[in-house]
Amino acid sequence: MHEMALMAGVFDIIRENTEDLPEKNVTRVTLVVGEMTNAVPEALEAAFEVYAKGTPVEGAELVIKNVPLMAKCRGCGWEGKTEKHVFMCPGCSSLGMEVVSGRELYVESLEVDGDGD
Amino acid sequence: MEIKVNTGILSANEQKAVENRSLFEKDRVFTINIMGSPGSGKTTVLEKTIDILTGTVRLAVIEGDIYTSKDARRIEKHGVPVEQINTGGACHLDAKMVSGVLNKFDLTGLDLMIIENVGNLVCPVEFDLGEDLKIAVLSITEGDDKPMKYPLLFRESGAVILNKMDILEFTDVDLQALRQDIYIINPDIKIFEVSARTGQGIDQWADWLTDRVNNKLKEKTAK
Ligand SMILES: Nc1nc2c(ncn2[C@@H]2O[C@H](COP(=O)(O)OP(=O)(O)O)[C@@H](O)[C@H]2O)c(=O)[nH]1
Ligand SMILES: [Mg+2]
Ligand SMILES: [Zn+2]
Repeated sequence: MHEMALMAGVFDIIRENTEDLPEKNVTRVTLVVGEMTNAVPEALEAAFEVYAKGTPVEGAELVIKNVPLMAKCRGCGWEGKTEKHVFMCPGCSSLGMEVVSGRELYVESLEVDGDGD
Repeated sequence: MEIKVNTGILSANEQKAVENRSLFEKDRVFTINIMGSPGSGKTTVLEKTIDILTGTVRLAVIEGDIYTSKDARRIEKHGVPVEQINTGGACHLDAKMVSGVLNKFDLTGLDLMIIENVGNLVCPVEFDLGEDLKIAVLSITEGDDKPMKYPLLFRESGAVILNKMDILEFTDVDLQALRQDIYIINPDIKIFEVSARTGQGIDQWADWLTDRVNNKLKEKTAK
Protein backbone atom coordinates (compact mmCIF):
# COMPACT_ATOMS: atom_id res chain seq x y z
CA MET A 1 0.00 0.00 0.00
CA HIS A 2 3.00 2.33 -0.28
CA GLU A 3 1.76 3.18 -3.77
CA MET A 4 0.06 6.23 -2.24
CA ALA A 5 3.48 7.44 -1.04
CA LEU A 6 5.01 6.65 -4.43
CA MET A 7 2.24 8.58 -6.18
CA ALA A 8 2.83 11.56 -3.88
CA GLY A 9 6.37 11.52 -5.28
CA VAL A 10 5.05 11.33 -8.85
CA PHE A 11 2.85 14.37 -8.27
CA ASP A 12 5.75 16.35 -6.77
CA ILE A 13 7.70 15.55 -9.93
CA ILE A 14 4.77 16.57 -12.14
CA ARG A 15 4.48 19.87 -10.26
CA GLU A 16 8.19 20.65 -10.54
CA ASN A 17 8.10 19.99 -14.27
CA THR A 18 4.96 21.93 -15.12
CA GLU A 19 4.71 24.88 -12.73
CA ASP A 20 6.65 27.25 -15.01
CA LEU A 21 4.78 26.22 -18.15
CA PRO A 22 1.92 28.13 -19.78
CA GLU A 23 0.12 24.84 -20.49
CA LYS A 24 -0.92 23.47 -17.17
CA ASN A 25 -3.15 20.70 -18.38
CA VAL A 26 -1.42 17.33 -18.10
CA THR A 27 -2.91 14.77 -20.48
CA ARG A 28 -0.55 11.84 -20.09
CA VAL A 29 1.88 10.61 -17.44
CA THR A 30 4.31 7.82 -18.36
CA LEU A 31 5.96 5.79 -15.61
CA VAL A 32 8.59 3.09 -15.94
CA VAL A 33 8.17 0.33 -13.35
CA GLY A 34 10.53 -2.62 -13.06
CA GLU A 35 9.27 -6.10 -12.29
CA MET A 36 11.44 -6.29 -9.20
CA THR A 37 9.93 -3.31 -7.44
CA ASN A 38 7.17 -3.78 -4.95
CA ALA A 39 4.87 -1.37 -6.81
CA VAL A 40 1.62 -2.95 -7.97
CA PRO A 41 0.28 -1.35 -11.20
CA GLU A 42 -3.38 -1.54 -10.11
CA ALA A 43 -2.54 0.17 -6.84
CA LEU A 44 -0.57 2.84 -8.70
CA GLU A 45 -3.57 3.45 -10.95
CA ALA A 46 -5.92 3.79 -8.00
CA ALA A 47 -3.54 6.18 -6.24
CA PHE A 48 -3.18 8.19 -9.44
CA GLU A 49 -6.94 8.77 -9.57
CA VAL A 50 -6.96 9.92 -5.96
CA TYR A 51 -4.12 12.41 -6.42
CA ALA A 52 -5.31 13.68 -9.81
CA LYS A 53 -8.78 14.62 -8.63
CA GLY A 54 -9.33 18.36 -8.74
CA THR A 55 -5.88 19.06 -10.23
CA PRO A 56 -4.73 19.83 -13.81
CA VAL A 57 -3.86 16.14 -14.04
CA GLU A 58 -7.46 14.98 -13.62
CA GLY A 59 -8.52 12.89 -16.60
CA ALA A 60 -4.95 12.31 -17.77
CA GLU A 61 -3.95 8.92 -19.07
CA LEU A 62 -1.53 6.97 -16.88
CA VAL A 63 0.85 4.81 -18.91
CA ILE A 64 2.88 2.24 -16.99
CA LYS A 65 5.78 0.69 -18.90
CA ASN A 66 6.86 -2.55 -17.29
CA VAL A 67 10.49 -3.62 -17.37
CA PRO A 68 11.13 -7.36 -16.99
CA LEU A 69 13.62 -8.68 -14.47
CA MET A 70 16.90 -9.48 -16.25
CA ALA A 71 19.94 -10.90 -14.49
CA LYS A 72 23.51 -11.79 -15.38
CA CYS A 73 25.55 -14.68 -13.97
CA ARG A 74 28.81 -13.70 -12.28
CA GLY A 75 30.15 -17.17 -13.01
CA CYS A 76 29.44 -18.06 -16.64
CA GLY A 77 28.15 -14.75 -17.97
CA TRP A 78 24.66 -16.05 -18.87
CA GLU A 79 22.26 -13.13 -19.17
CA GLY A 80 18.53 -13.15 -19.59
CA LYS A 81 15.05 -12.96 -18.16
CA THR A 82 14.78 -14.30 -14.65
CA GLU A 83 11.52 -15.86 -13.58
CA LYS A 84 9.96 -15.02 -10.24
CA HIS A 85 13.19 -13.78 -8.68
CA VAL A 86 14.82 -17.19 -8.94
CA PHE A 87 18.43 -16.12 -9.08
CA MET A 88 19.81 -19.53 -10.03
CA CYS A 89 21.72 -19.46 -13.30
CA PRO A 90 20.06 -21.56 -16.04
CA GLY A 91 23.52 -21.86 -17.60
CA CYS A 92 25.66 -23.18 -14.75
CA SER A 93 23.24 -23.50 -11.80
CA SER A 94 25.36 -21.17 -9.67
CA LEU A 95 23.69 -18.63 -7.39
CA GLY A 96 25.69 -15.48 -8.01
CA MET A 97 23.51 -13.38 -10.28
CA GLU A 98 23.41 -9.63 -10.64
CA VAL A 99 20.27 -7.70 -11.50
CA VAL A 100 20.65 -6.04 -14.90
CA SER A 101 17.18 -4.51 -15.10
CA GLY A 102 13.90 -4.66 -13.23
CA ARG A 103 14.56 -2.20 -10.40
CA GLU A 104 13.42 0.86 -12.40
CA LEU A 105 10.90 3.20 -10.84
CA TYR A 106 10.75 6.59 -12.48
CA VAL A 107 8.65 9.18 -14.29
CA GLU A 108 9.68 8.99 -17.94
CA SER A 109 7.64 11.76 -19.53
CA LEU A 110 4.59 14.00 -19.37
CA GLU A 111 2.26 15.15 -22.12
CA VAL A 112 0.83 18.64 -21.60
CA ASP A 113 -1.89 20.53 -23.44
CA GLY A 114 -1.12 23.33 -25.89
CA ASP A 115 1.22 23.52 -28.87
CA GLY A 116 4.63 24.20 -27.45
CA ASP A 117 6.07 24.68 -30.97
CA MET B 1 3.82 18.83 -26.04
CA GLU B 2 5.88 16.05 -24.50
CA ILE B 3 8.21 16.77 -21.58
CA LYS B 4 11.05 14.32 -20.98
CA VAL B 5 11.39 13.86 -17.24
CA ASN B 6 13.35 10.71 -16.31
CA THR B 7 13.23 11.42 -12.58
CA GLY B 8 13.16 8.62 -10.02
CA ILE B 9 9.88 8.44 -8.13
CA LEU B 10 11.85 7.85 -4.92
CA SER B 11 14.48 10.48 -5.66
CA ALA B 12 13.29 12.86 -2.92
CA ASN B 13 13.53 10.03 -0.39
CA GLU B 14 16.92 9.00 -1.72
CA GLN B 15 18.28 12.53 -1.27
CA LYS B 16 17.10 12.59 2.32
CA ALA B 17 18.62 9.13 2.88
CA VAL B 18 21.96 10.42 1.62
CA GLU B 19 21.76 13.22 4.20
CA ASN B 20 20.97 10.74 6.99
CA ARG B 21 23.77 8.46 5.86
CA SER B 22 26.30 11.27 5.98
CA LEU B 23 25.18 12.15 9.52
CA PHE B 24 25.68 8.51 10.57
CA GLU B 25 29.01 8.41 8.71
CA LYS B 26 30.28 11.54 10.39
CA ASP B 27 30.06 9.90 13.81
CA ARG B 28 30.67 6.35 12.52
CA VAL B 29 27.33 5.10 13.78
CA PHE B 30 26.54 1.71 12.25
CA THR B 31 22.85 1.69 11.34
CA ILE B 32 20.49 -1.21 10.69
CA ASN B 33 16.92 -1.17 9.40
CA ILE B 34 14.93 -4.12 10.73
CA MET B 35 11.98 -5.28 8.66
CA GLY B 36 9.45 -8.09 8.81
CA SER B 37 5.77 -8.93 9.27
CA PRO B 38 3.83 -7.65 12.27
CA GLY B 39 4.34 -10.23 15.00
CA SER B 40 7.45 -11.84 13.51
CA GLY B 41 9.25 -10.87 16.69
CA LYS B 42 11.25 -7.80 15.66
CA THR B 43 10.86 -6.05 19.02
CA THR B 44 11.51 -9.20 21.04
CA VAL B 45 14.68 -9.96 19.04
CA LEU B 46 15.73 -6.37 19.60
CA GLU B 47 15.14 -6.56 23.36
CA LYS B 48 17.28 -9.70 23.61
CA THR B 49 19.95 -8.15 21.39
CA ILE B 50 20.10 -4.99 23.50
CA ASP B 51 20.59 -7.02 26.67
CA ILE B 52 23.57 -8.81 25.12
CA LEU B 53 25.15 -5.69 23.63
CA THR B 54 24.70 -3.44 26.67
CA GLY B 55 28.12 -2.62 28.11
CA THR B 56 30.00 -3.30 24.88
CA VAL B 57 28.12 -1.37 22.21
CA ARG B 58 26.58 2.05 22.74
CA LEU B 59 23.28 1.86 20.92
CA ALA B 60 20.00 3.67 20.43
CA VAL B 61 16.70 2.66 18.86
CA ILE B 62 14.17 4.28 16.55
CA GLU B 63 10.78 2.57 16.68
CA GLY B 64 8.44 2.85 13.72
CA ASP B 65 4.76 2.19 14.24
CA ILE B 66 1.59 3.31 12.53
CA TYR B 67 -0.11 4.76 15.63
CA THR B 68 1.18 3.44 18.96
CA SER B 69 4.30 3.80 21.07
CA LYS B 70 4.03 0.38 22.73
CA ASP B 71 7.29 -0.92 21.25
CA ALA B 72 9.22 2.18 22.29
CA ARG B 73 8.03 1.67 25.86
CA ARG B 74 9.22 -1.95 25.75
CA ILE B 75 12.67 -0.80 24.55
CA GLU B 76 12.88 1.99 27.13
CA LYS B 77 12.84 -0.59 29.90
CA HIS B 78 16.20 -1.85 28.64
CA GLY B 79 17.83 1.47 29.42
CA VAL B 80 18.73 2.67 25.95
CA PRO B 81 17.73 5.92 24.22
CA VAL B 82 14.65 5.37 22.05
CA GLU B 83 12.52 7.60 19.84
CA GLN B 84 9.12 6.68 18.47
CA ILE B 85 8.01 7.58 14.97
CA ASN B 86 4.29 7.31 14.29
CA THR B 87 3.67 7.20 10.57
CA GLY B 88 -0.01 8.12 10.97
CA GLY B 89 -1.24 5.44 8.61
CA ALA B 90 1.74 4.93 6.33
CA CYS B 91 2.92 1.33 6.03
CA HIS B 92 6.63 2.19 6.06
CA LEU B 93 9.19 4.60 7.46
CA ASP B 94 10.82 7.04 5.07
CA ALA B 95 14.10 8.93 5.26
CA LYS B 96 12.41 12.19 6.15
CA MET B 97 10.68 10.68 9.19
CA VAL B 98 14.00 9.29 10.42
CA SER B 99 15.70 12.61 9.78
CA GLY B 100 13.07 14.27 11.96
CA VAL B 101 14.13 12.37 15.10
CA LEU B 102 17.90 12.21 14.56
CA ASN B 103 18.50 15.51 16.39
CA LYS B 104 17.06 13.92 19.54
CA PHE B 105 20.10 11.62 19.77
CA ASP B 106 23.70 12.38 20.66
CA LEU B 107 25.16 10.57 17.65
CA THR B 108 28.74 11.25 18.73
CA GLY B 109 28.17 8.98 21.74
CA LEU B 110 26.73 6.09 19.72
CA ASP B 111 28.16 3.06 17.93
CA LEU B 112 24.93 1.52 16.68
CA MET B 113 21.51 2.81 15.64
CA ILE B 114 18.76 0.22 15.31
CA ILE B 115 15.63 1.19 13.40
CA GLU B 116 12.59 -1.07 13.75
CA ASN B 117 10.45 -0.44 10.70
CA VAL B 118 6.66 -0.70 10.50
CA GLY B 119 5.58 -4.36 10.39
CA ASN B 120 5.20 -5.13 6.70
CA LEU B 121 7.01 -7.43 4.24
CA VAL B 122 6.43 -5.30 1.16
CA CYS B 123 6.54 -1.54 1.49
CA PRO B 124 9.45 -0.61 3.82
CA VAL B 125 12.09 -2.23 1.63
CA GLU B 126 11.60 0.39 -1.11
CA PHE B 127 12.51 3.27 1.21
CA ASP B 128 16.19 3.79 1.96
CA LEU B 129 16.55 5.37 5.40
CA GLY B 130 20.31 5.89 5.24
CA GLU B 131 21.11 2.58 6.93
CA ASP B 132 24.23 0.45 6.41
CA LEU B 133 22.29 -2.78 6.37
CA LYS B 134 18.76 -4.06 6.01
CA ILE B 135 17.86 -6.98 8.28
CA ALA B 136 14.84 -9.22 7.71
CA VAL B 137 13.05 -10.94 10.58
CA LEU B 138 10.90 -13.89 9.51
CA SER B 139 9.21 -16.12 12.05
CA ILE B 140 8.91 -19.73 11.01
CA THR B 141 5.22 -19.68 11.88
CA GLU B 142 4.65 -17.45 8.84
CA GLY B 143 5.32 -20.41 6.56
CA ASP B 144 8.23 -21.35 4.32
CA ASP B 145 6.73 -19.80 1.17
CA LYS B 146 7.31 -16.21 2.33
CA PRO B 147 10.74 -15.56 0.78
CA MET B 148 9.52 -16.59 -2.68
CA LYS B 149 6.36 -14.52 -2.23
CA TYR B 150 8.19 -11.43 -0.97
CA PRO B 151 11.64 -11.78 -2.52
CA LEU B 152 12.71 -8.14 -2.60
CA LEU B 153 13.16 -7.90 1.18
CA PHE B 154 15.38 -10.98 1.18
CA ARG B 155 17.28 -9.85 -1.91
CA GLU B 156 18.09 -6.51 -0.30
CA SER B 157 18.87 -7.71 3.23
CA GLY B 158 22.33 -8.48 4.61
CA ALA B 159 20.96 -10.98 7.10
CA VAL B 160 17.73 -12.76 7.88
CA ILE B 161 16.76 -13.75 11.38
CA LEU B 162 14.58 -16.87 11.35
CA ASN B 163 12.75 -16.41 14.62
CA LYS B 164 10.58 -18.62 16.84
CA MET B 165 12.74 -21.69 16.34
CA ASP B 166 11.49 -22.89 19.74
CA ILE B 167 8.18 -23.84 18.14
CA LEU B 168 9.57 -25.40 14.96
CA GLU B 169 8.22 -28.83 15.93
CA PHE B 170 4.66 -27.49 15.94
CA THR B 171 4.90 -26.18 12.39
CA ASP B 172 5.09 -27.89 9.01
CA VAL B 173 8.02 -25.73 7.94
CA ASP B 174 10.71 -27.43 5.86
CA LEU B 175 13.74 -25.59 7.17
CA GLN B 176 16.09 -26.91 4.49
CA ALA B 177 13.75 -25.75 1.72
CA LEU B 178 13.29 -22.41 3.43
CA ARG B 179 17.05 -21.84 3.65
CA GLN B 180 17.48 -22.93 0.03
CA ASP B 181 14.80 -20.48 -1.15
CA ILE B 182 16.46 -17.64 0.73
CA TYR B 183 19.86 -18.46 -0.78
CA ILE B 184 18.38 -18.63 -4.29
CA ILE B 185 17.09 -15.10 -3.83
CA ASN B 186 20.30 -13.88 -2.17
CA PRO B 187 23.35 -16.17 -1.94
CA ASP B 188 25.31 -13.61 0.08
CA ILE B 189 22.77 -13.34 2.91
CA LYS B 190 23.55 -14.50 6.47
CA ILE B 191 20.87 -16.70 8.03
CA PHE B 192 20.48 -16.84 11.81
CA GLU B 193 18.13 -19.39 13.36
CA VAL B 194 17.03 -17.96 16.67
CA SER B 195 14.40 -17.98 19.34
CA ALA B 196 13.90 -14.62 20.94
CA ARG B 197 11.85 -16.46 23.56
CA THR B 198 14.56 -18.89 24.74
CA GLY B 199 17.53 -16.85 23.58
CA GLN B 200 18.75 -19.67 21.33
CA GLY B 201 20.96 -18.35 18.50
CA ILE B 202 20.77 -14.72 19.62
CA ASP B 203 24.45 -14.80 20.67
CA GLN B 204 25.62 -15.65 17.15
CA TRP B 205 23.52 -12.87 15.69
CA ALA B 206 24.75 -10.38 18.31
CA ASP B 207 28.39 -11.39 17.68
CA TRP B 208 27.99 -10.95 13.95
CA LEU B 209 26.38 -7.56 14.46
CA THR B 210 29.09 -6.49 16.91
CA ASP B 211 31.76 -7.37 14.32
CA ARG B 212 30.08 -5.05 11.85
CA VAL B 213 29.83 -2.27 14.40
CA ASN B 214 33.51 -2.70 15.29
CA ASN B 215 34.56 -2.56 11.65
CA LYS B 216 32.90 0.81 11.43
CA LEU B 217 34.54 1.95 14.68
CA LYS B 218 37.95 1.00 13.29
CA GLU B 219 37.30 3.47 10.51
CA LYS B 220 36.62 6.01 13.26
CA THR B 221 39.94 5.51 15.03
CA ALA B 222 41.79 5.26 11.72
CA LYS B 223 40.55 8.70 10.80
N1 LIG C 1 7.31 -18.71 20.73
C1 LIG C 1 7.94 -17.56 20.43
N2 LIG C 1 7.25 -16.39 20.45
C2 LIG C 1 7.92 -15.26 20.15
C3 LIG C 1 9.29 -15.26 19.81
N3 LIG C 1 9.66 -13.98 19.54
C4 LIG C 1 8.56 -13.22 19.72
N4 LIG C 1 7.50 -13.98 20.09
C5 LIG C 1 6.14 -13.53 20.37
O1 LIG C 1 5.57 -13.05 19.17
C6 LIG C 1 4.71 -11.95 19.44
C7 LIG C 1 5.11 -10.74 18.60
O2 LIG C 1 6.40 -10.30 19.00
P1 LIG C 1 6.92 -8.83 18.74
O3 LIG C 1 8.34 -8.80 19.15
O4 LIG C 1 6.01 -7.83 19.33
O5 LIG C 1 6.82 -8.77 17.13
P2 LIG C 1 6.96 -7.52 16.13
O6 LIG C 1 5.58 -7.08 15.78
O7 LIG C 1 7.66 -8.09 14.94
O8 LIG C 1 7.78 -6.49 16.82
C8 LIG C 1 4.81 -11.69 20.92
O9 LIG C 1 3.71 -12.32 21.54
C9 LIG C 1 6.11 -12.35 21.31
O10 LIG C 1 6.12 -12.77 22.65
C10 LIG C 1 9.98 -16.52 19.80
O11 LIG C 1 11.18 -16.63 19.50
N5 LIG C 1 9.25 -17.63 20.09
MG1 LIG D 1 7.47 -4.45 17.08
ZN1 LIG E 1 26.08 -19.15 -14.82
